[in-house]
Amino acid sequence: MSGHVAPHRWADLWAGRVGAPERKIMERHAQSCRACARVRQRVTRASDSFATIRTQPSPEASWDSIRARVHWSVSTQRRAALRRPRPAYGWLAGALAAGVAVALVSGPAPTLAPASQPIAQQEPPARPAAPPPAALVGLVSRASGDVMVDGVRPADLFARALTTGSVIATAEGRVDVQFGDKSAFSLGPRSTIELRRFDAQTIELAIDGTVDVAVAPRTGGQRFLVDAGAQVVEVRGTQFRVAHDKGLTSVACRHGLVAVSDGSGKVLVGDARRVRVTSERPLSGEPVVELSSDELATLTQATPHALPLWDPAALVQSSAPLEIATAGHRDVRVDGLELGLAPLRVRVMPGRHTVETADSAGRFRRAGWVDVAASPHGARLEIPAEPPPTSGITERRHQLRAGIDQPRLGRCMRSIAKAGLTGTYVQVEISVDAQGAVGFLNVIDTDLPSATSSCVREVLADVRFGRGAAATWRERIDL
Amino acid sequence: MVAHVMLGRVKRDTTGSLATLGPADEADLIARCKADDRAAHDEFYHRFRRQAAGNLYRVLGDRTDLDDLVQEVFVIAFRGLERFRGDARLSTWLYRICVNVALGKIRTRKRRPAAIGVADLDATSADPSLTERPETPDRTLERRQEQERVYKALELLAPKKRIVLYLHEIEGLDLKEIAYLVDSNPVTVRTRLFYARREFYRIIAGEDPPEKAAPDDGAEGAEP
Repeated sequence: MSGHVAPHRWADLWAGRVGAPERKIMERHAQSCRACARVRQRVTRASDSFATIRTQPSPEASWDSIRARVHWSVSTQRRAALRRPRPAYGWLAGALAAGVAVALVSGPAPTLAPASQPIAQQEPPARPAAPPPAALVGLVSRASGDVMVDGVRPADLFARALTTGSVIATAEGRVDVQFGDKSAFSLGPRSTIELRRFDAQTIELAIDGTVDVAVAPRTGGQRFLVDAGAQVVEVRGTQFRVAHDKGLTSVACRHGLVAVSDGSGKVLVGDARRVRVTSERPLSGEPVVELSSDELATLTQATPHALPLWDPAALVQSSAPLEIATAGHRDVRVDGLELGLAPLRVRVMPGRHTVETADSAGRFRRAGWVDVAASPHGARLEIPAEPPPTSGITERRHQLRAGIDQPRLGRCMRSIAKAGLTGTYVQVEISVDAQGAVGFLNVIDTDLPSATSSCVREVLADVRFGRGAAATWRERIDL
Repeated sequence: MVAHVMLGRVKRDTTGSLATLGPADEADLIARCKADDRAAHDEFYHRFRRQAAGNLYRVLGDRTDLDDLVQEVFVIAFRGLERFRGDARLSTWLYRICVNVALGKIRTRKRRPAAIGVADLDATSADPSLTERPETPDRTLERRQEQERVYKALELLAPKKRIVLYLHEIEGLDLKEIAYLVDSNPVTVRTRLFYARREFYRIIAGEDPPEKAAPDDGAEGAEP
């Protein structure tokens, strides 16, 4: 051997791919050459690590999320293919080709057949059957509480594509599923729904519990059915509620027209009307009554949440779940839209969203804003608990108003006033005990600059309270 | 039918689910998947997900975008099942898809270099059967650094060379097996492997990698 040993030969040596004579030469060389001994050591160490790499176990991944996305991608492609059926001209091309072939085979000077004779004796191939209707996909648009899909509580609920065969169940919460433009259903608490058929031609849902449905007008040939035990509810475009519990089925229609049928006949339920059916009595004998204003308000409140734009393929990528966490159950609004009781999760588009929560008096107050990026994890906003209502607030409120040092407050506001800013405010949360001592005073919202806000807070902190009822309250002071 | 006998190593999946899938079960599963049976798709995914993730993880050396890559593998698999002729085991066929997806990822990474998360490889979670007694922390660290060095050296190779070298040196596959996986012929693989090994071990040895005179991805010549 002349010169040094190539590094890859040391790897061959390690792997036993070098014959005995050469091996001896290489080892002898390594004993006399420090550089090659070092290279050998490095190569051997690297080769040793191959076994470790080879046996690396599979890492954990978001299996459910991946499965949902895979299913989504595959079904989306399938739907797209179904939506664009190629014109069925294949049989025509085949017939033309056959004709040309016959003409070529029959000789160089073909003669035209008499007009009365058929050109081709064979029957034209039958036209291909109409393609099956495109499968629909539903996406969760809002959820609260425990929701199970196909028997599991999916971590990727908002990424899941709900298709034919999916079974959704709720515990104490509810879940809204959008499946088209202005079409969605909202599954109530302790309810189960099965998507028996979910395609462009027929939507058939089997409900055990309560479901509110808002569905865009169906085109000709499209059917929307809700199976509720022995009763079948069919609509062509409306908002309605079906509640089915064992032997009792109730169908209420907010607007539109709903046809309820069973073995005994059919009943039509119009705007703001409802019908109740029991298993003991035939449907045809049940009266259709008008909804009370409370019932109508409940129906209005239960309108399923649907995004204004419906493009399921794009929505999965471009929207994200926003989780609003509250200590208790509180009504929330996102961007001015009432969503019901939080804690809940709602699908939103990326961007900044304003969240408001209702206080104990039912007034919505800004709870904060949250930036949401398009990702499967979305964003989370925690809303602190509302201070417990205490008695004596009116008295303490008067004391606060009367005790504010107005000239000092005016000095705080001077720079703002000089700048021409008016209509500013500060909202504070304050706690006063029975002795009149201030427990805490927090500025929770203001549109003032921080320096001015601090100055105002100091003025408020210097208000002295006398003995009286302990109270904790929020006060908005317009300046 | 190389692929039928190859890749017993593929069954290294820690769940052992692959080992229970006989040829008849496999044929049945494929048929049901082709019939667009959603349950079959789920079963397919459940059986092979860990294998796919493991293959991608080991080839790439880090778990960045692993979820997306696993998704890509299964989407390709489901879309391609129609064309699957059964000339290889399903696991092998899927491994081939993994290799191609990993290759694509390596190429993308070459264009847009990103931090390599090789430290992400958890050396401590290696197959316990290989270590009879618990390792010392020093030894663990040393082994982890060594793996890191290997993946850094792999990063410096051209994508096709890297894949071939990985499959041969680390997975221990022979030329025919590699040729099937990378959709090439054994002679090309042999040439590519020769240059890849030379380059890789030079980097490992601390020498400068050879000049670009060596055939790169498109090398079709014979080994010198």
